[in-house]
Amino acid sequence: MINSIFIIDDDAITVFGIRKLLATVVSCTNITNFSNGKLAMEHFENLGNDNELPDIIFLDLNMPIMDGWEFLEAFIKLPIKQKITINIVTSSINSLDRDKSNTFKNRTHHKITYNTKPLNKDEIQNITNPVKQQH
Amino acid sequence: MNIIHISDSWINTFEFSRNLSDDTNILNAFPLLSNEWQQDLEYAFLGYKNKAKTDKYFDRDNKLNWLEWIIYPWYDEKENVIGAIIQIENISKTIELEQKAEKLELLLNVKSEIAKIGSWEYNVITNKLTWCKMTKLIHEVPFDYCPSIEIALNFYKEGYYRNLARQRVEKAMKDGATWHEKFQLTTAKGNDIWVQASGKAIFNAGKLVGLIGSFQDITEEVKTQQKTKNNEVLLRTLIDNLPLNVFIKDLESRKTLVNKAECDYLGMSNDEIIGKDDFELFHKDSAEISIKEDQHIIQSLTPIIRKETINIKKDGTKTMFLTSKIPLLNEYLEPTAIVGFNLDITHLKEKEKELRRLVHITSLQNKKLINFAHIVSHNLRSHTANFSMLLGFLIKEKSNEERENLLHMLISESDNLLETIDNLNEVVEINTVQNQASKPIHINTTITKIKKSINSLLRHKKSKIKNLIDDSVYVNGIPSYVENILLNVISNAIKFEDPRKECAVEISAKKLKKYTVITIKDNGIGIDLEKNKTKIFGMYKTFHQHNDSRGIGLFISKNQIEAMKGKFVLRSKVDKGTTFNIYFKEND
Repeated sequence: MINSIFIIDDDAITVFGIRKLLATVVSCTNITNFSNGKLAMEHFENLGNDNELPDIIFLDLNMPIMDGWEFLEAFIKLPIKQKITINIVTSSINSLDRDKSNTFKNRTHHKITYNTKPLNKDEIQNITNPVKQQH
Repeated sequence: MNIIHISDSWINTFEFSRNLSDDTNILNAFPLLSNEWQQDLEYAFLGYKNKAKTDKYFDRDNKLNWLEWIIYPWYDEKENVIGAIIQIENISKTIELEQKAEKLELLLNVKSEIAKIGSWEYNVITNKLTWCKMTKLIHEVPFDYCPSIEIALNFYKEGYYRNLARQRVEKAMKDGATWHEKFQLTTAKGNDIWVQASGKAIFNAGKLVGLIGSFQDITEEVKTQQKTKNNEVLLRTLIDNLPLNVFIKDLESRKTLVNKAECDYLGMSNDEIIGKDDFELFHKDSAEISIKEDQHIIQSLTPIIRKETINIKKDGTKTMFLTSKIPLLNEYLEPTAIVGFNLDITHLKEKEKELRRLVHITSLQNKKLINFAHIVSHNLRSHTANFSMLLGFLIKEKSNEERENLLHMLISESDNLLETIDNLNEVVEINTVQNQASKPIHINTTITKIKKSINSLLRHKKSKIKNLIDDSVYVNGIPSYVENILLNVISNAIKFEDPRKECAVEISAKKLKKYTVITIKDNGIGIDLEKNKTKIFGMYKTFHQHNDSRGIGLFISKNQIEAMKGKFVLRSKVDKGTTFNIYFKEND
């Protein structure tokens, strides 16, 4: 069971797409989106208890105010014990970005995955299936 | 043979005679006397006159004494021999002198052989010329050779030296002048040799009796000198024609040799430079460094090889050199001097600097191009990714309502793509359309125009713009760019006001080197430059949550100011405000 999913992306169409694809593979109804990293961080900082933590975060890289990298940097410092799957979704095909995402893998207990836009149904399943089996 | 009388001077001279008394037999008194004495005494008694003879004895101080003795017959009035008179003279001094003379002659012979000094003597009265052995050796004639004065003069090399020799001889004979100079001779065997010849006239009672003189073979010396001189000329020619500054310094860093290049460089003559140290020749800053280097070389005996140095002359002229300094060691491996070579690489350095500058510009441009390529690919890709995704949904979608929705999204995405392409195109244009008409722009006219265009924003925010720019200020640039840049920066200053404060924007201008700097200072929310320095001028980067922040304004503006060879310099503090300096390049 997946309780909660966050989508952090400033592009409305991408958010729409992810939501639409998610609807076909999981029964999760608690999907929240943030248009940049800062808004998402503010949300985490104000959380009451761990029950409200998301199981999966879809994270865009190129965003105003606080971009995906800055969000990751801040997020892995949060005292969250639960293992959260953070899937980077970017339109960048620059290999440097993929390399950079790999450097985060060793620095956190959260699961970091990397996908380029557009996401398709198979990719969404690959992200959600392992999480479903955990619970 | 008894002694009848002993003179006082005898007793004084020969102290041993003091105890002798008359009537003592002389042969008993002097038992050591040679037989010659008895013989001479007997001869004298017979009336013969003896020849003087010499003898020696050691006195009480054990000193060798020489005496000359002679025994005469002693006659009475009738010329009858009645005895003998012994006359003795102490000749120690004379003997000593004779021996000394002998020694000196011996010494002279040895010396003349070693030094190859020969002598000659010319007797005017007999017209006879005598050469010693060495003189004959020098002339390469047999020892039995008998020269005449004419023949002797012909040994001098024909021409200058023969004439000179003749003149010297004649002058010496006329007024007793001496000579001592170098001549060239041709020996009997036809060898050309160099001699140091001296001569002087001998006068006896004011009358010329002859000439004496000496010859020294100095051929080797002259040849060595000539060789040394040739080497010196070679060395001089070499170092003066090298495209290098060459110098030698003593252990106190004083110049002892410089070549022409060094003289030309210092603008001083050789004589002016020699003996001066670096403090006297160069600016004290470079002299200090150079002398420190010299001391290190002398102490460590390690040379400096091809080190890049800057020399500053007294007048402040800077020259870049490739310097080598090497310690010069004597046979005991002690340093005696420093040999230095300076290659002027000022031009090379300037070229290198220019090259580096060009490489820097090229790499900046390259970086900019790559960055732009990334921007293009990223932006195009994000749109196409959306197209691809939306089309994927559309194909499978059965609900008409949802299909309609997807089509709307596709149209909106298509519009976004067009806008992005327009923006990118604008940037390309800014960077490619070179030499657009640049002209002086009256800055206050532009600001008034901008104020009018953002009038509603100003009124909405209740902002005040305080323009301190003098009406005489013009900047040089492309009017549309200047207007766009100012519009962007001023509207940013207003947009990002601090809601807790009354918004105040101040615009001022100043001259700074080759730029006119327009400063737009606000008291807004500011920005953390440290965190955002790479993103401030990026495309579609915004830092604040504002509905009208599109993240394109400053990106375009930056391209525009750079196209006009200007730049932006920002200072900002979160919650304090931002000072935005726009550098407009003045006409060269």
